[in-house]
Amino acid sequence: MAPSQASHVPTLDGLIKSFNNQSLEASIESLIFLLKRRQVKGDECAKATAYILRQVVAKAKWNDVDQLLSRIASAGSRLARAAPLEPVIGNVVRRVLGLIRDEASEDRNADDIASEAASDIQTLTPATNPSVQPPQRPALPHRPTLSALSSGLQVSKSMFNLLSVAEPGDSPMTGASTPMSQAQPASIHSLRSEVMDGIEEILDEINQADDQIAGFAEIQIHPGDYVLAYQPSRTVERFLVKAASKRRFTVVIAGLEASGAGTEAPYASLRKRLNSAGVKTVNLASNGLMAYIPRVNKVIFSAKAVYQNGGLLVDSGSCIAAQAAHEYLKPVIALCPVYKFCPEDPSDEVSRGELGNPSDYVSYANGPAVGALDVENTVTDYIPPDLVDVYLTNLGPQTQHHLANILADHYKTEDTGFSLQLGEP
Amino acid sequence: MSKQGGKGGAAAGKAKKPTKAGAEEKGEDVLQAVILADSFQDRFKPFTLETPRCLLPLVNVPVIEYTLEFLASNGVQEVFIYCGAHSEDIEQYIHDSSRWSPGSTISPFSSLEFIRVSDANSIGDFLRDLDKRSIIGGDFILVHGDVVSNIQLDAALAKHRARREENRDACMTVVLRSVGEQPHRAAKARGIIPVFVVDPTTGRCLQYEETHPLQSEHYLSLDPAVFSHGEFEVRTDLVDCGIDICTPDVLALWSESFDYELPRKNFLHGVLKDWELNGKMLYAEILDDGYAARATNLQMYDCISQDVLERWTLPFVPDSNLIHGQTYRRVKGSSYVEDHVVAERGAKVTQSAVGRGTVIQSGSSITGSIIGRKCKIGKNVKIENSYIWDNTVIGDGTTVLHSILAGSVVLGANCQVPAGSLLSYNVHLDDNIQLPSKAPARISLLSDEKQRADNDVSLVGKGGKGALYQTITDEEDSDDEDDTNRDPTILQSSLIYSLEGLNLSTSSISTFVSEDEYDSDDDISLAGSAQADAFGQPRGRLSSFASDDTSKADGFHSDAVHGLVDALRADDSDDFDGAKLEFMGLRLANNASDGAMRRAIAVAFVRRAAELLTPEHGGLEPTKAAAEALTSKNGAVKFVKEVGVGGETVAQQAEFALALQKALIGIKDVEPARAGALLAALLQQLYSLDVLEEEGILAWWADKRAAEGAGSEGLREKCRVLVEWLENADEEESSEEEDGDDEDED
Repeated sequence: MAPSQASHVPTLDGLIKSFNNQSLEASIESLIFLLKRRQVKGDECAKATAYILRQVVAKAKWNDVDQLLSRIASAGSRLARAAPLEPVIGNVVRRVLGLIRDEASEDRNADDIASEAASDIQTLTPATNPSVQPPQRPALPHRPTLSALSSGLQVSKSMFNLLSVAEPGDSPMTGASTPMSQAQPASIHSLRSEVMDGIEEILDEINQADDQIAGFAEIQIHPGDYVLAYQPSRTVERFLVKAASKRRFTVVIAGLEASGAGTEAPYASLRKRLNSAGVKTVNLASNGLMAYIPRVNKVIFSAKAVYQNGGLLVDSGSCIAAQAAHEYLKPVIALCPVYKFCPEDPSDEVSRGELGNPSDYVSYANGPAVGALDVENTVTDYIPPDLVDVYLTNLGPQTQHHLANILADHYKTEDTGFSLQLGEP
Repeated sequence: MSKQGGKGGAAAGKAKKPTKAGAEEKGEDVLQAVILADSFQDRFKPFTLETPRCLLPLVNVPVIEYTLEFLASNGVQEVFIYCGAHSEDIEQYIHDSSRWSPGSTISPFSSLEFIRVSDANSIGDFLRDLDKRSIIGGDFILVHGDVVSNIQLDAALAKHRARREENRDACMTVVLRSVGEQPHRAAKARGIIPVFVVDPTTGRCLQYEETHPLQSEHYLSLDPAVFSHGEFEVRTDLVDCGIDICTPDVLALWSESFDYELPRKNFLHGVLKDWELNGKMLYAEILDDGYAARATNLQMYDCISQDVLERWTLPFVPDSNLIHGQTYRRVKGSSYVEDHVVAERGAKVTQSAVGRGTVIQSGSSITGSIIGRKCKIGKNVKIENSYIWDNTVIGDGTTVLHSILAGSVVLGANCQVPAGSLLSYNVHLDDNIQLPSKAPARISLLSDEKQRADNDVSLVGKGGKGALYQTITDEEDSDDEDDTNRDPTILQSSLIYSLEGLNLSTSSISTFVSEDEYDSDDDISLAGSAQADAFGQPRGRLSSFASDDTSKADGFHSDAVHGLVDALRADDSDDFDGAKLEFMGLRLANNASDGAMRRAIAVAFVRRAAELLTPEHGGLEPTKAAAEALTSKNGAVKFVKEVGVGGETVAQQAEFALALQKALIGIKDVEPARAGALLAALLQQLYSLDVLEEEGILAWWADKRAAEGAGSEGLREKCRVLVEWLENADEEESSEEEDGDDEDED
């Protein structure tokens, strides 16, 4: 019986389970504190935000689109403030805001065309707003995979998109909202379910992103390659394992923690899986990195966030690997699902990096050192855009110059300034 | 345990309790915690005159917030808070807090209740009350209201449960944090050093003791039962953060012993000692990572604040903004600054935290400090390692070093607040005030009885407010540490840990850990003493049949010699009375025989004199060295006469001279010729100081024991002159000191 009750520690899963038992406010507040206590961090943040926003749509009181937008924005900004160094929270909030605006404009279009059935509206939408996520196709992988080379087409699309969206996008905030508020409860109801479906899709996208990225593995990794994986995250692991099923290459795993004797070698499970697929692995201590770079063909790591200038927020240490690779003209591949793209520039805090607990480097039991040293353990790094060669998204590989398209496709211009709206609590 | 569950159903008082009280399995799904929000101590006075300890701001956050957040992060759902002093304030605070208020929908706890005990005088009273209430269903976490910790208790809880499943008598797990053996600021600030005897294989706690630098006995007696375990460790390197995982049985144990007051010194010690009676087993969970500490005194407050700034306590750091409405950001210079902080050009803020609305004018520098909200800091102010609470005003050109300024303090221009000063709420200092740097001031508006004290104009200036705060000491030591000879809380009552002026020798602090004999074979010598205890024999008798070096007498000898030599070496004081007191204390504690004392004193003085011969210590001539050793400290001669010789009889004097001779043989690094000269000089000095009489010396000369043994011939040769001179003096009645000296130096 013990294992079943082993853990009392609050987790994201526990929170999601408790959604039905507690009020919306309590759920938001518990997530805020999970974020503040770092009990939810990294990739989990995106999922958590999407779940909470779906709760907001479902449970909060709102009578028209404007109200819904402000509810989402206020809940979202509280979450974003709770974890200022997790920019994906803001991204998901922007995505949801954009989604609502799209649904609202569809509804209005539907009104214009007069009383059509809801299914007709949905068939209509892809034609009018081609880049908006079609909500009625949850089974499809989002966006047929477009290769980077097809971006010429994307540019034209998104240009069109920008104009076409901006025009109606302005109106629902002002004039068009009046008819909306007078709309029948039925349309509110349908909007609610449509938005929730949309959020469900965003969740699917988040969940599937790693697999989709892994789908590009065999294109990126060639037989006989030496691939340096710096602190492989779950995304990178999946990518490598997928590649291992098709290719024979060597993985150099770098960025190991200075672990004491007796502890298990890091990334043991990854190495086991790679080895069983016939891929050789080399464990490399961080300080041996530079020596190995000439031998390596490419460097792979995953990003925590991508900024609009192309800079990356990454786990600490990756910057050194990227810089080393840059010196030797080795390609640097950053794995970054689309939901990690931020339509903003890195803040001062981001470029300085988040500070972790010094106990990773100095033991608290090491008395004199604790008093004598100032240990700054940065847990995140900022990688400037010129060090990154390929951004491998779940939509395919991109270069720095095409990031603007992705941002334009996924976020509304009204929402890009979302973080600026963060006011006083 | 089951008994508790049964009673839980009956004690209906609370609406939801009966539903889960029936079966203990159900109770376990809900993790309960009990917070003891009063510790019945005075260590934070004068601040706690107005504010309860758990609401004092630690890095601008009330201490209890850390505790509650710690419990929330461990998934605790039901919380009971026991308040003592200022209970209304604490309740008000919790009720006003949007996060913790029991009515709040966003509280992470499903219930939070206050329990008031009208006549509680100790923590023991709280826990006995808790036992009566029967609101505890299963395992619960017992913490103090001043814990700062980021430990995840999952593993400890799981182990605790597994043990309890296996054996129902495993009723409590004490969570401890190892801080290593090197001197450490957290360890140093403890004052009282907890000593845990732990079985390293099972983690079972076998014995608990406390030591502190002021006690007279520098050893511990191990319970003989400890030796029945295959292996055990004696650990002094642990910080006890007061986090216990308990079963309801623990409360029953508290109820059984109505006189237990403190959870450690009384309860833990007592329950472990009476293991055979109660059959309960307690375990220690020793963690090597994570952070845990209690702000039990000002030094710990200081230490934890610095740890928070250095992020050891992550996620409990300022820029996590765990409190509603806080807006800390990390800025350059490793500082944390809230919104709306104005730091003028030229103001430097490093390694500090500054609260909202504070203005720092140009030219000021703030280092390693915590500044509250809405403070005004003037031009060219220097603040180092200080804690400045909300709404404080500091005038231009003032310097504040390592001090605590409570809320709404006003300092005039060009004041000097030296390290260790404590200024309580609303104290005002006039311009150009210099507070004393020796014996740092504690200034408060209130006296100990919470009356408004008259302003002390000489201290705070004409326009100032506040008076020196004096504690009434006789109340506090009756409370907890009454059976020790001095109250270790003295060590903890000031902001800066200092043994200065406390009249103890450095060796006596470190005997337990670092003294050579103990270092090499720690367990063996402890074992020896423990067995001595177990046999219940008077120690004098023990030493008579067990005359070897492992017995207690040896411990006494080395402790006493160290203490005396240190006192003789001490440069800063001319007083020997402290050393004498300590020596007598040791003697009583060990029941040392006269012979042992004589030996110890002889060795101590000879060692000191021999040390003075060496070039490092001035390379004095034997006569000078002997004089220096004996007469440099007031009272030393008297001490030798009364304690060392111990009487007027010829036999005793001879014994002492013999002891001196043996001690000199024991000194290795002095060549025999000089050693002989030193012995002669010492005897001559003692003779001229009237400690030894000529009959005594002659009796020693005649004693055949003195003549035997290797090396004694060489020594005695040098004394022959003295003896002959004494014999002559006896006849001639008139001799000059000069002659004696001249002859000695040959």
